[in-house]
Amino acid sequence: MTLRRTLLTLLILLVSVSTLVACSGTSANFKVGMVTDSGTIDDKSFNQGTWEGVVQAATELKIDKNYLKPAGTTEADYLASIGNLYDAGFKFIVCPGYKFSSAIYKAQTQYKDAKFVLIDAQPTDADGNAVVATNTVAIFFAEHQSGFLAGVASAVELKTGEFGFIGGMEIPAVQRYNWGFQQGVAYANANLGTTITIKAENVIYQGTFSDVAGGQQLAATMFDKGVTAIFCAAGGVGVGAINEAKTRATQGKTAWIIGVDVDQFADGIYDTTNNKSIVLTSALKGIKTAAYDMIIDQKDGKFPGGQTLTFDASNDGVGIPATNPNLSAATTTAVAGVLAKLKAGTITVASTQGDLIK
Amino acid sequence: MENIVEMRNIRKEFPGIVANDNVSIELRKGEVHALLGENGAGKSTLMSILFGLYQPEQGEIFIRGKKVRITDPNVANELGIGMVHQHFKLVHNFTVTQNIILGRESKRFGFVVDEKSASRRIRALSERYALNVNPDAKIEDISVGMQQRVEILKMLYRDAEALIFDEPTSVLTPQEIHELMKIMRNLIDEGKSIILITHKLREIKEIADRCTVLRRGRVIGTVDVASTTEARMAEMMVGREVSFKVDKKPAVPGDVVLKIEGLNVLSARKVLGLTDFSLEVRAGEIVGVAGVDGNGQSELVEAVTGMRSVESGTIRLRGRDITKQGVRERIREGIAHIPEDRHKHGLVLDYTVQENMILETYDQKPFSNHGLLDFPEIRKYAECIVEAFDVRAGEGVDSLARSLSGGNQQKAIVGREIELDPDLLVAVQPTRGLDVGAIEYIHKRLVEQRDSGKAVLLVSLELDEILNLSDRIVVVSHGALIGDVQADETDENEVGLMMTGIRKGESA
Amino acid sequence: MTPKVDPAGRTRRWTIPKKYVNSLFAVLLGLIAGAFFMLAIGRNPFVGYFYLFKGGVMNLKYIGQTLATSTPLILTGLSVAFAFRTGLFNIGAAGQMLMGGLTAIGLALTFEHMLPRGILLAVIVLGSIVAGGLWALIAGVLKARFNVNEVVATIMLNWIAFWTVKYGVYAFFRDPQQETQSKAIDAVASLKAPWLTSLFPGSYINLGLFLSLIALVIIALVLDKTTLGYELKAVGFNRSAAEYAGIKVNRGVILSMTIAGMLAGLAGATYWTGYSSNMQIDTSSLPSQGLDGIAVALLGTNSPVGVLFAAVFFGMLQSGKGFMTAVTGIPPEIADTIIATVIYFAAAAVLIERVLDAWRKRRASKALAATKKGGEE
Repeated sequence: MTLRRTLLTLLILLVSVSTLVACSGTSANFKVGMVTDSGTIDDKSFNQGTWEGVVQAATELKIDKNYLKPAGTTEADYLASIGNLYDAGFKFIVCPGYKFSSAIYKAQTQYKDAKFVLIDAQPTDADGNAVVATNTVAIFFAEHQSGFLAGVASAVELKTGEFGFIGGMEIPAVQRYNWGFQQGVAYANANLGTTITIKAENVIYQGTFSDVAGGQQLAATMFDKGVTAIFCAAGGVGVGAINEAKTRATQGKTAWIIGVDVDQFADGIYDTTNNKSIVLTSALKGIKTAAYDMIIDQKDGKFPGGQTLTFDASNDGVGIPATNPNLSAATTTAVAGVLAKLKAGTITVASTQGDLIK
Repeated sequence: MENIVEMRNIRKEFPGIVANDNVSIELRKGEVHALLGENGAGKSTLMSILFGLYQPEQGEIFIRGKKVRITDPNVANELGIGMVHQHFKLVHNFTVTQNIILGRESKRFGFVVDEKSASRRIRALSERYALNVNPDAKIEDISVGMQQRVEILKMLYRDAEALIFDEPTSVLTPQEIHELMKIMRNLIDEGKSIILITHKLREIKEIADRCTVLRRGRVIGTVDVASTTEARMAEMMVGREVSFKVDKKPAVPGDVVLKIEGLNVLSARKVLGLTDFSLEVRAGEIVGVAGVDGNGQSELVEAVTGMRSVESGTIRLRGRDITKQGVRERIREGIAHIPEDRHKHGLVLDYTVQENMILETYDQKPFSNHGLLDFPEIRKYAECIVEAFDVRAGEGVDSLARSLSGGNQQKAIVGREIELDPDLLVAVQPTRGLDVGAIEYIHKRLVEQRDSGKAVLLVSLELDEILNLSDRIVVVSHGALIGDVQADETDENEVGLMMTGIRKGESA
Repeated sequence: MTPKVDPAGRTRRWTIPKKYVNSLFAVLLGLIAGAFFMLAIGRNPFVGYFYLFKGGVMNLKYIGQTLATSTPLILTGLSVAFAFRTGLFNIGAAGQMLMGGLTAIGLALTFEHMLPRGILLAVIVLGSIVAGGLWALIAGVLKARFNVNEVVATIMLNWIAFWTVKYGVYAFFRDPQQETQSKAIDAVASLKAPWLTSLFPGSYINLGLFLSLIALVIIALVLDKTTLGYELKAVGFNRSAAEYAGIKVNRGVILSMTIAGMLAGLAGATYWTGYSSNMQIDTSSLPSQGLDGIAVALLGTNSPVGVLFAAVFFGMLQSGKGFMTAVTGIPPEIADTIIATVIYFAAAAVLIERVLDAWRKRRASKALAATKKGGEE
């Protein structure tokens, strides 16, 4: 009885998986590979965004796609994964993350007939000089603009109170989110009649992207100190903060989280029947679009090799989600106005610290 | 006469050996039937089958003429078979009554354990068989002999008719042995039947009616004890003639080799295990240390060999103070040690025989040079010992020590220690668990040592061994030396009395 | 047939081959388990294994990569095996490796422009050995003096090392561009040698391979030919007997723990100043070589030669995994599980060796009994 059931389960599994495999037919003349940063392709952030872009493009173009997880986080491990993809015929390789800088530098010379897309960084040689070869595109995002818009949206929506920020590690992309967010809040205070404060003690880098418990603790402390909304640019640490906010919301307390990279509204749902989420809005970064665009460009023979591209508000590379159930219509309108000014260049957001906190 | 128990053509195999091969034995009502054999002859296996611990591959068991299958000890209990194991199975912080009714609690109102009535019944049983056991005493507070009687009570409480005693005297003093014999007679008088497992011929002579001798899993024969000599039974057991007396010339004691003065030593439990202990051992004599187990023998041996530090007092070897020296230094000074437990201390079982032969000397020439072992030299030396001490091993010096039989392991250790050419040889239970042949051999080598002018300190729980081998006997009780007598001027009774703590001259 | 006797005086006819037969059997079991796993997810195991092994050895680059991956595994495996032979369970190879790595990176970054390459490499290598040894010494002393179980001590020391490295790299050797890793060491301080890299172009093979082989030979010699090895093994086999024989047991415990740590420390140098050229501190886990070392030691039956083969086998699996994934499209997470299944099933299978032995013996004795019976009738 049990044996038969086991066999049956196995059979179903077999069939379903092989159908899945069968779907990925080949028609275009190149295969797209991706190497993940530390983390998996469902990390709600970087790797996931990239992979979604790859999947979308590959499905549209009916080409093969695959991703590899390096054995470790050393340059050797990254390069080994790139080599594996290359040797398996994947000659269009997308790598998300600044950690690939030196590996891509080596790969772009070693595998001259392959194309590389490096997100969030430029290939760098041993001395730290950026060298973008003709078979490579380096992509940056204006995270500060994204943070700015999220800051404006949150401030306008909540009008008054205290905000906080939790970052993962102190790396440029995360810092830009932080600085942009602070500028956005300041802009709203100055121009849109809000009175939001951000105390220096409530701007914290946790030190990892993975410590969920640590994130929960940090968030709890901030909420206890009177913070009403926290902007989390911290991967798994942010997951902890979201959990804490959900717990509090369930108990009827006010606790908001502003998500990062992708629309995290769904992650913050604590009341499924009423679709209530503690994620106020999210600061987006068009990783998916970027990955997708590069693949489409390659198909069209327009791969912008040798260039360093920046995705920002002007090309809709960053922003907040199109729909925000937690934002009022007024807020949405206000943000749209600010976005227009950003695009027009009448507002500029600094990508450096200046006199901002941390 | 009616047979209480009859085992027919029993066969039991374990991986590699046949423990019982076509063994038949019958226990008549009202007799003491001895089961005699060397270690590994298959006595315990046979009784474990009867007690339901093992299932035989072949053979039948009849109880009171009825064929039965004894699948576990509970079935054996139901059938009226009880067993006193060599190692008692008692819970130490329970009372006698609690231990006896364990697993058989009669309940009042279905759940309250009725200890009172059980206690009453035990008291009555104790009086009837003259066991003299207090049902309310805790096990940890009573002597070993008393614990054994609790085990006997346990069987009686369960209405056992056939009682199996497994080596019951190995843990008792001579006086306690005497008591046990009396108790066994009482049991017979009350209509019980007894199987006595032992390798001690004297006990068989004293108490048993018939004796079945086992050798290598087979029955050699069943004899009437009264009409059979000890020598004959021994021959049946071993398969050849054996001599019991150790041939030895009178001792010629020389200079003092070991001199212990005012020694106080803490035991493993951090209480004084040895108190104000003084002893001299001279060259050319064997000094036997007699005593009931746990009365300071281990502490004495460990203090002398350097394995345990002393609180106060001095130990001198040939006049040199070695009290503070470590084990290795003392070995170099001339102390060799045949340890009590050959598996725990005597051998590295996963080393080969040759590797074991250099356990104390591996860092010396010629076995090593600048930290590198010289295997040809080691092999030569080990082969020499194996040859000289008749160590039998399947692959010679390349056999793992583990693969050797107990007797051969012990001979290897004795050989290794004697080859150290020590001034003082400390031999602790040197023949424990060995068969008669090996015992004979080791005794001969110890006397040889004495004759060549070495001092020998013999510690043994076997009073026979002490009496046979020693030139002088000292008795320890509760960590104190309470007797020092010439071996040829004393006897078993006197030493046995001192072992219970009564000094010579004092009245009991 | 006469038994062949080696210089150690042992009969090698049966013992050694049987050991390897057991391990090979274990590997086979591991591969079968992995195959079932592949079947369960609807993959053809033959195709999977074909590309797995192809990815380990298909050309010089991959062979070099296999050897490079094996290098630290040889050392951590040796570390665990050595400790085990002397009766200690070293779970702390990961921590010792981290401390060795931190020291190596630190020395490299500090002295890379001051010392000539030969001396610099010697300083780095020796430094890592000393650091790993000292780290393990703590566990050894705790065990010898206070009877703290070495398993507990080394596990805790692993995490102390983990956070020490995080702090140490962050505070002293941080890459100004990327705070999640140390600065990269200069080529002059790297164990990668141009001549070796050109033999296996594109791989990260480095001089660490030779260091690990030298360590392997030294350990084999120490264990089998020296009085030190004799003492330590005696302590490992039977502590009481060692005490009885006057061997300083506590000294042995400390010494063998230290030696085990030295090996793992060296693994750190080969990994971070050979395979890698900087230390990353953005992970939340210990280096996998620590635990894998236990599996390597188990599969290698705690003998140096066995460790070598087991480490290379594991290295091949690890390095072939990526290629298998790339070609077959088996998701990397599943591939990880397959490799883990093969590795740990194989390692665990070694443990059932005894069960099998007992089974064989029983069968043998049954057969013997049967023939006897037949003879009697």
